[in-house]
Amino acid sequence: MKKHLTTSMIAVAAALSAQAALAEIKIGAIFDLTGGLNIYGIQQDNALDLAVESINAGGGVLGEQVEVVSYDSQSELSKYTQYANTSVLRDGISAMFAGLTSSSREAIRPIFRRANIPYFYSSLYEGGACDRQTFVTGSSASQQLQPLVEWAVEEYGPRVYIMAPDYNFGTISAHWINEYAEANGGEVVGEDFLALTVTDYAPTIQKIQQSRPDFVVALPVGANQTGFLEQFAAAGLKDSIGVVSSNYGSGNQQVVVSPEAGEGLIASQGYFMQVDNPANAEFVEMWTAKYGNDTPIVSGAVDVWNAVHVWAAAVEEAGSADPEAVITALESGITFDAPNGTVTMEPGSHHLRQNIYIARGDDRHGFEIVETFEDVAPTYENEMCDLLASPNLAEHFTPESN
Amino acid sequence: MELDFLATVLLSSLSSASILLIATIGLAVVFGLMGVINLAHGEFLMIGAYTALTVTQAGVPYILSIPIAVAVTMVIGAIVELLIINRLYGRLFDTMLATWGLSIVFYQLAVLIFGTVTPGIGMPQFSIAVGEYSLAGYPLLMIGVAAAMLIFVYLLMTKSVYGMKARASIQVPHMAQAIGIESSRTNMLTFSVGCGLAGFAGAVLLPIVPATPSMGFAFVIKAFLTVVVAGPVTLTGSAITALGLGGGASVTASFMTSVVGDVFFFVITALLLWLYPMGISAKWRRKL
Repeated sequence: MKKHLTTSMIAVAAALSAQAALAEIKIGAIFDLTGGLNIYGIQQDNALDLAVESINAGGGVLGEQVEVVSYDSQSELSKYTQYANTSVLRDGISAMFAGLTSSSREAIRPIFRRANIPYFYSSLYEGGACDRQTFVTGSSASQQLQPLVEWAVEEYGPRVYIMAPDYNFGTISAHWINEYAEANGGEVVGEDFLALTVTDYAPTIQKIQQSRPDFVVALPVGANQTGFLEQFAAAGLKDSIGVVSSNYGSGNQQVVVSPEAGEGLIASQGYFMQVDNPANAEFVEMWTAKYGNDTPIVSGAVDVWNAVHVWAAAVEEAGSADPEAVITALESGITFDAPNGTVTMEPGSHHLRQNIYIARGDDRHGFEIVETFEDVAPTYENEMCDLLASPNLAEHFTPESN
Repeated sequence: MELDFLATVLLSSLSSASILLIATIGLAVVFGLMGVINLAHGEFLMIGAYTALTVTQAGVPYILSIPIAVAVTMVIGAIVELLIINRLYGRLFDTMLATWGLSIVFYQLAVLIFGTVTPGIGMPQFSIAVGEYSLAGYPLLMIGVAAAMLIFVYLLMTKSVYGMKARASIQVPHMAQAIGIESSRTNMLTFSVGCGLAGFAGAVLLPIVPATPSMGFAFVIKAFLTVVVAGPVTLTGSAITALGLGGGASVTASFMTSVVGDVFFFVITALLLWLYPMGISAKWRRKL
């Protein structure tokens, strides 16, 4: 028995080293596959798998296959830090792709900074995350809101009302709306910040009517706040007051709201499934072949797809998957022909220069793109965060509140 | 302040309070009559909403989907009582833990069955104008719905034979059994009625709050606090508390900001519980 045990242990050890001898490049993934945030997490993880599959099918990076070590953070912050540590200490990953909420990003950022492993964050967010190991492929609030507010002031008129969630995404976005409204000759005539659990929007809708705006910037987060759009439409205000949003559609809200409420809503994002270019056509075809076409692809999924490909391009350029070499390569202005148009990793701020699309909701739970702002720079991040000049920065910049 | 603004604030606050009351009554019945804290109340609401949604999508008129939602949640409620709750009577914390676990299970089941996004049915697009303001019509309709629900539950519990049995089995279980009331069956029915009321709430509020797996969470905290503040005279207490807290929070939100509205709700709740640890109705002489 004892001999048997020893033999099997040797066999296991041999098997383990044999696996190691295949010398794959390992990357880590932590997304919310279960729990309240899996509306986003599942698509992010699917996008990562698809990207790795497409890279491996094309011969891998530097001729080696990419292997994914995947974790389910269960929509819980403690799981993020736990798995981030595991992936660094045990799995020996070369890069990490993880996170949806800003709190999850802030929780694990220091871990990859300490380990000096490139960490890709792929979600639209409030902006300002800055350190040498962190690379952001989602669009930041200022990046999306600048074209949106400019467009809306022109389209509807100068008076702006802000409806936003009561936490940093909402308050920082509101700051940018104020700033860009002013820059474009508009004025913010009222704001209301709402808890995520509010379900009754009658008070907000009254205040909107009282302050007579030309358009409302609505940033509903979560299912409850989506109800605002429904109630706003039912109050009969949609025809006289425009509604624009930088996050409507990011969780497929256009599927949830009724066609009556969704028609005519304006959204701005870095990606819509309706984007018309060859890279997107190919991407959508691959996606639907593997995952079906029940649910429209959200921008967060494309952000992950772009992150993996930008990383792979950097590995090719560095000639090695060694984290330090890859970070240096990522700071050389890598570009990628993405489903949402050509994107460029900004060397200084580690944010992505990308197109911002403005789309109008139709009456069939979909969008049609009305305007494309090409190659929009993450201006605020570029201004605050120059990691080429000061590589030791580790900050989360927020604009002064006014 | 213009008169039309005041009138709309008043009307919409009344409808806010009614929505809170609709979401609360089922919890009030289960907690007030049985002493069971059902932390899965919000998920029963969610089940009601999804049932109504599914049935509506299958072509049944929305109005008929409401009784179907009630029936489905009552059946699920009865099964839950049979399998879980009736083993835990008198063990308050164990029931809380069990129903909380149940809520997580229901939530994940909803994600697995319906996915994370399903199309809503939308709100009936009619609105009424008060001076220069316009109000969505459907939420105003909820004032009538809440009143009807209140009257129905009051009559059910005071005038029907079942109601008397239900109160007897909870107040003095052994005496009720001695005179021939099968208290375990009565309790099952009461829990099931509570769940059915939650299902009704989910279905009737569906046009206002779209069905999502996590929708229960938004209601359960405020509903729970309303029932606790109400105290032992559950039904009348809940109605008055919902009017005061829900309506007050809505008025505050209209004149100030939504954050201040929420602060009002929670500060007044804390204050009332400090003044009346057993609930505002602790010294009332009414029974329901």
